[in-house]
Amino acid sequence: MRDALTTSMRASHWLAALLVVFALITAAVGAAMNDTFYLRLATEALIFAGLALSVDILLGYTGLLSLGQALYFGLGAYISALTLMQVPSFWLALLVALASGLVLGLVGGFIALRVRGVYFALITFGMAQVIAKVIYNTRALGASDGMTGVPIIDVNLGITSISSASPAGFFLVVLAVTMVLYAIAAYLLDTPFGRLLIAIKANDRRVPFLGYKAPTLRLGSYVLAATIATVSGALYPMLRGFVSPELLFFSTSGNAVITVILGGVGTLVGALYGSILLTVLKSVIGSWTEHHLIIIGLLFMGAVIFFPQGLMGVIRPQVAKWLSYRWLSRGGKP
Amino acid sequence: MMAGAFDYFQFVLAPQIVIGLVLGVAVILVALGLTIIFGLLDVINMSHGEFYALGAFISVSLAALGVPFWLLLVLVPALMLPIGYAVERLLIQRVFHSPDRHVTTLLLTFGLALVLEDVFRLIWGPNPLRPETPIRGAIEVAGLFLPLYRVFMIGIGALIIIGTALIVYRTRIGAMVRAAAFDRNMAASLGVPVQLVYAGAFAFGVSLAGLAGVLLAPLYSVFPTMGRDFILMAFTVVIVGGMGSIAGAVVAGLFLTQVQAIASLYISPVWTDPIVFGIMVIMLMVRPQGLFGRLGHA
Repeated sequence: MRDALTTSMRASHWLAALLVVFALITAAVGAAMNDTFYLRLATEALIFAGLALSVDILLGYTGLLSLGQALYFGLGAYISALTLMQVPSFWLALLVALASGLVLGLVGGFIALRVRGVYFALITFGMAQVIAKVIYNTRALGASDGMTGVPIIDVNLGITSISSASPAGFFLVVLAVTMVLYAIAAYLLDTPFGRLLIAIKANDRRVPFLGYKAPTLRLGSYVLAATIATVSGALYPMLRGFVSPELLFFSTSGNAVITVILGGVGTLVGALYGSILLTVLKSVIGSWTEHHLIIIGLLFMGAVIFFPQGLMGVIRPQVAKWLSYRWLSRGGKP
Repeated sequence: MMAGAFDYFQFVLAPQIVIGLVLGVAVILVALGLTIIFGLLDVINMSHGEFYALGAFISVSLAALGVPFWLLLVLVPALMLPIGYAVERLLIQRVFHSPDRHVTTLLLTFGLALVLEDVFRLIWGPNPLRPETPIRGAIEVAGLFLPLYRVFMIGIGALIIIGTALIVYRTRIGAMVRAAAFDRNMAASLGVPVQLVYAGAFAFGVSLAGLAGVLLAPLYSVFPTMGRDFILMAFTVVIVGGMGSIAGAVVAGLFLTQVQAIASLYISPVWTDPIVFGIMVIMLMVRPQGLFGRLGHA
């Protein structure tokens, strides 16, 4: 038995698999051509895809627009940088970021989830603004300059190890981490927990009548989103060797929202494609004109008005149709 | 001892309070448009700061063409009216009836803000412009030197704020606006042209932001991201005061800018932003509806 949601999630997985194939080709071609710039750019696109994924969990599933998700991304980056400066271990940095994400998500969720709707958007915006300004003013964290000198690390994979300085190698590491984050989010949201989040989005007054606690579910999705953002943020200093307060600023949060809208809200895989789309657009338009924001902004407004489902809203139904056809032709029950 | 305390007040505290007051009036002018738009249309206008910047840019350009300052005070808000009207009819209306209107209108105005900011950069360049102060000189009140333009700012700002409140609460048009905010369908069936009221109120809010731009251009530099920096404070004022409440915007605007001014004396000025946004977060936690009620509920 398959329902529409399962079919469309399967379609997302196929599209995610396609993305991995493309990424592997990119890595192979990049490595063969000895390219650094484009591989690093693609790595950054994947890192910010993780942040977009976390925005999509809140916006696309739970119906909560966060305007301050960069808070967790930026804190993850700072925590990872501080950890790496003490102990240059990839796994330790990721683990510390993961643990902090859970704790910070609980604290932030407790504050932000007291309100709904536009007030939630504004309180997340306000929280991020407070913390961003505090970090901006803290000299021990490098203040407005941020922190440089995050060491180059070796990612120990048991049989082999990959240096974060290797463009193709680290691209593959980030690809793996981002796909794991996608897989965890997709798995959790395909359980009854995910269905309940969709139910909350549709009508949060009826969910309690079904015997579920809407506040707990909402907190669960908030913590999940915060943790994903923190872990993807942890990858940033490994790529760039520095962190700056801009990672927590509104422009970073806003970019993640644009990514999700362009990619397709509530599809998860749309966040990944959206991040790549936005990075490509910025670098292509940026080579013509320095005023790329006009075009990005117009595209975004166009998407909000004419294609609220984004890129995946156009592509995914086609894949879903193909999947249902395949399922039926193999003798599956409709 | 007494003299010391008085000197401290006269030379340290009082000037800071006046600076805070000027900023307060400015923030309230921006917040006023924001709060009317929210109170009536339920729209968080993320591009409001860019309309404030647009007003400042237009005033700088017109002043360079030789238009006197006094004329700008009327001309720029008048020019902003059709712009605001067009934005409401062409953009906001398109998504106004979508199921999650709050989010879509917020996103749409966010996109508009991005576009406008880069358009400013394209037309006027990235560097700050500094128009001349239209009123020079200072007066001395009880040993306190007050630049005349700042005194003028406080005066005209107060007039505009009182005028707006009178329009909303004492005129027939204001009654229509409040009726449309309270119950859109009922107002429509009683013959209130709701569409026109919505677009008109949006245009009015935008025009107020433009007016704030004209007034503030001589005090602060004019640059493409000026709206983004200022709008945070205006949002905070609107939230703390209560979205859609004019009285709330005034009280919260004066309170928060005084907190900012005084805090920068005792704690370092760089910490005023976290304090002000912290107040906003706490306010949202304990009393999300703000200090005062909504436009349509008063």
